[in-house]
Parts: sequence; structure tokens; C-alpha cells
Amino acid sequence: MKPTHIISWILQLSIIALLAPAAYFKLTSDQESVAIFTSLGMEPAGRYIIGFLEAAACALLLTPNSVAHGAILSLGIMLGAVIAHTSKLGFNNIFAYSSITLVIGSSIIIYIRRKQIKSIARMLN
Amino acid sequence: MAGSIDLQKISRFANLAIPAMAVLFYLGGHFVSFYFHFFTVIFLLLTVVNIFYLHIQKKHTILRNFGILGQARYIIESIGPEMRQYLFANDTEERPFSRIERSEIYRKAKGIDSASSFGSQLEFDNSEVKIRHSMYPVDKKHITPFSLTFGEERGLQNSFTIHKPYLISAMSYGALGQNAVQALTRGARMAGIPINTGEGGIPKHHITEGADLIFQMGTAKFGVRNDDASLNDEKLRKLCANPSIKMIEIKLSQGAKPGKGGLLPKEKITPEISELRGVPIGQDVVSPAHHIECTDKQTTIAFIKHVQDVVMIPVGIKLSIGKTSEFRDMVKEMKTQNVFPDFIAIDGAEGGTGAAPKAFMDGYGMPLYAALFSAHKILTDENVRDKLKIIASGKLINSSKQFIALALGADATYNARGFMLSLGCIQAMLCGNNTCPVGITTHDPTLQKGLIVEEKAKRVANYVTGLEHDFYQMLAASGIKDAKDINIDQLYIPHDTALSGQISTLLNNPNT
Repeated sequence: MKPTHIISWILQLSIIALLAPAAYFKLTSDQESVAIFTSLGMEPAGRYIIGFLEAAACALLLTPNSVAHGAILSLGIMLGAVIAHTSKLGFNNIFAYSSITLVIGSSIIIYIRRKQIKSIARMLN
Repeated sequence: MAGSIDLQKISRFANLAIPAMAVLFYLGGHFVSFYFHFFTVIFLLLTVVNIFYLHIQKKHTILRNFGILGQARYIIESIGPEMRQYLFANDTEERPFSRIERSEIYRKAKGIDSASSFGSQLEFDNSEVKIRHSMYPVDKKHITPFSLTFGEERGLQNSFTIHKPYLISAMSYGALGQNAVQALTRGARMAGIPINTGEGGIPKHHITEGADLIFQMGTAKFGVRNDDASLNDEKLRKLCANPSIKMIEIKLSQGAKPGKGGLLPKEKITPEISELRGVPIGQDVVSPAHHIECTDKQTTIAFIKHVQDVVMIPVGIKLSIGKTSEFRDMVKEMKTQNVFPDFIAIDGAEGGTGAAPKAFMDGYGMPLYAALFSAHKILTDENVRDKLKIIASGKLINSSKQFIALALGADATYNARGFMLSLGCIQAMLCGNNTCPVGITTHDPTLQKGLIVEEKAKRVANYVTGLEHDFYQMLAASGIKDAKDINIDQLYIPHDTALSGQISTLLNNPNT
């Protein structure tokens, strides 16, 4: 395995380690999740949609041929989280900072796996 | 262009609209409902991608000039082949085989009546060779059953007789996956025709099916080689001790890439392939452009003699003709040494391949009909036509093409892609990529699993039955009682074809 792919796998597993519990708490209606989505005005549909998308991103990140797709999905979800924290929830807790970290991690994976998606490969030569 | 859509204007609008939409959706998400932020994210990502396309990447002009809308070109282009094949290409325009040619084989393979309605879709204005019928057709029961014996000219004890004018042409295990090889070979056994093993080394998966085999010895001599690609007599003798091996074919050249040897990349050399072909693991194997023993006409004929001495079964050669004068010289050398191959397979330039350089596939070699007529004429002129048999190959997938080949001098016909179509080939043209969607030219087990050997073997046999049915009907219609009497008088050859050109060249310049 190429060194860049090892880095990619470390990042993939790290992202999954953060995303999987997040998805679990959303889908099982954990109190804190319900509170966050209530304050965003998206309870309960939005919580289930995001929870499902997070679970899907984890599955894609574990599928060798779809890693880039998974990373794009997690990047999208985390951009949404960053927006939520900056505009509504306040940038004051561990979740806010971890969403920034996940945006960066997902972007690195997309870069490493750019050849999996032609339109991304063309973007980066 | 006046009146056409101004793509530049549209793309300029799109390039401004995408970030504007991101802002609008952000405001919507902030002031109306957080759900709008789903779209904020999408348009933010599109904006970033567009910035890269327009200002950062430097390789793609279309993307640099038009941005994300330029992607449409790539997307539409990528689905073009499928769209053309499924929706837009008409029934006669696809290559190498049009839809009507393929459908005929599918129908034969499935045992469906191939009668068609309303009229022919082919050309009738002087561009296609047609077969002449007789005013006095013969009754089918008066036609002598087809029979052809290879090796009878040399009085071989182990001569080989075929009872149908068809042989499955060379396709190796390697080029084809295991399921395809087994289905073809089993189908060949059911139909009672022989199959050529291709130059894939020891034909392990062919032998198990019990069909009659023609072992092809390519220039690399896989399976019977020494390390320097010279012939290992002992290995060949040992291989031919197997009763399934009925004939040997020395491949001098191939229509799809004449004058060029193949390359087996090291990635494809599995332990099994390494063992069957007798090549080391971990390095590319380059097939030489010619047999190491054959550097001119004398050594080529001497090599044929050598192989004939090593094995006691018919030995033939396969070649694509480039210069007819070279072929004539080789025939003269056969006379000088009094050595004749038991058969010559003439491969037309239109022949198929798993992989060949485009320049060779498209640009090299004589087309079959012209080459076949030349070979037959030269052998006849030199009074040695009765010393050997001729097999024709190159797109002979249907009954009329095969009949034309027989009329031009062939004694029997090879056919590979017709049999692939009978296995379910959809002409995806991916033979060299290991991604054949119907599991024929791939070793990927997930793609091979759809190819059920038992089912497809029946289709191979059905296809042969359909061809044979046509063959006897055509003989009857032509008023011919014995296939040996088919000759060029049975053909209507328009003046402006490659064939008519070659005929007049040879007739006007007998030493060409």
C-alpha cells in the first residue's frame, strides 16, 4: 500500500470514529441531539436525515472503491455543522472544533483519492 | 454560429449564479429554515469546484473557459458509446458487427427462427459480394454430407476429419476466462466441431471438456518453449500424446496485428498462467514478432518440416498475407523442399484480437477475401493446391460470409467472434480490460459468475446447428451437390470492391 493511502486509511478510520457515534446518538434520539436539532428547528426529520447521511458516509468510507464519495459526503455534512455552529449554536464546544477538524480531514482524503472521481481529478489536474 | 445557443454566455451566467445561490440559500437557512442549508452546502461545494476549474487547474481548456458547465461535455461523451449502441446507431452501421449481424447470431444461438420480414437492410448498389443461385436448385437429400480430412495428403495415420465446415478460431485461456473457455469447448464437443486453443500454453481448461483441439503455437510457443522461445520438442511431443490434440497450428502472424508479437504484462501472470505458459512470474513476457527459428522462407519451411517430424498429427500454419509475392515465394520454397503444411489458415486483416495496437489493427494486412483469393490462386498456379487445405478466418460469422469464403478457395472456415456472440457477447469492446460485462474476456469471478457454462454451451451448439442448416440450404439453392464444387463462379463480385481489384491485379500480373 502506498504511504498516501495509509494516511488516507488513518484519516478514514478517525472520521468514522467521530461520525459513527454522532449518527448513533441522532438515530437513537439521544437527549442532547434532540436538544440541538430543536434549537435548529429541524426536529425530528432533520435529525434523522443527518443521522442517516452520517451513517452512509461511514459505510462509504469503509468501501475501498467509494472512499472519495464518502469523504465528499462527510465534508458536506461537516460544512453544515460548521454553519450551524457559526450561525446558531455558537462556536464554544468540542463539537464545533471537531466539525472543523472533520472538514479538513475529509478534504485531505478527497485529495488523496482524487482519481476515484474524474470530475475531482480534473479539478486538481 | 448564428442562431445557435451561446454557451459562453450561459456558462458565464452559471459561474456567477452558483456562488450567488450559495449566498441566497445561506440567507434562507439563517432567516427562514435551517433546511435551506442543505442547498447552501451543495452550492458552496460547487463554488469551490468551479474556482478550481476556472482558475487553478491548467490542463483542461474547456473547464478553464467554461467552468462547471464544461463538465457536461465529459459526462455526455462518457455515456456516448452506450447511447449510440442502445438508442441511436441504426441497425447496419455499428462496427465490427452491426446489430443485424449480432441479432442473427443471438437468434441462432437461442434456437429461434431467423426469418426476417419486409426486406434486406443491406446495400444492393454495387458494394457487396453476393452469392449466385441456380435456376435449378437441388434436393437437399442429394447433397453429399460435408467431410474434410486434414493430413490425408501426407498419408498420415492420425489424419483428422471434420464433418462441418466450421472450426472455432484461436482464443486462449488468458484472453478468455475459464467459464468462457469451458462453455465454448463443451459447445464444440456437443456440436462436433474442433476448437483452436489459442497461444495460451497447455490447454488445461480445454482438455477437460473432451472436444477435439487444435493446439496453436504462437511465436512465444507458450507451453512448449525453451527459455529463449525456441521449440522444446520433448514438451510438444508430450503434449500431443493427449488424444484430444488433433492438429498443431503454427501461428506465423495474426490479421489484427500482423508482424507484431503480443505482450503479456506481469500483472496477468498468475501462478496458474505461469505454469500453463511456461514463463516466469514477475516479469513481462514479450512474444517475438516471428518464430525464432523462422527468419526467411527456407528456415520457415524447414521449421514446419521439423514440427511435422516431431508430432504425428496434421501440422498447419496461420498467417495474414501482406505481400502476395512473399506468399508466392514461400509456396515455391515449399515445392523446392517438398514440404507442405497440412493446412494454411488465411487470417484477414479484419480479424479480431484481445488487444492490439490501433495502428496495426486498423492499418495492416490484406482484407480476407482478397487475401484468400490470392492464396488460392497462387497455390493453384503453382500446381500445389491439392497438397494442403485452406481455412479462412476474419469476421466469418454468418452463413453467407462463410459461403463466400468457401467460394473463394477455402475448404473450411474459422470463426471466433461469432462464437463469442453466441456466448452472449454484447460487443462492449472491453476485451483487453478484464472488465468484460458478460464475463467472457475477464478473470474477474464476479463478472464470470453470470456465464453459466452448461447454458452457454448449448447456445454454442445451437449456433453451429443454425449455420449448418443454412449451409445445406444454400448449397441446394446454388445447385451444388458437393461442397467441394463451390467456386468463384458462384459469386457476384461488384467492380469497385477490394476483392475485384485484387482479382484483376492477379489476373493481369500473374507473378505479383
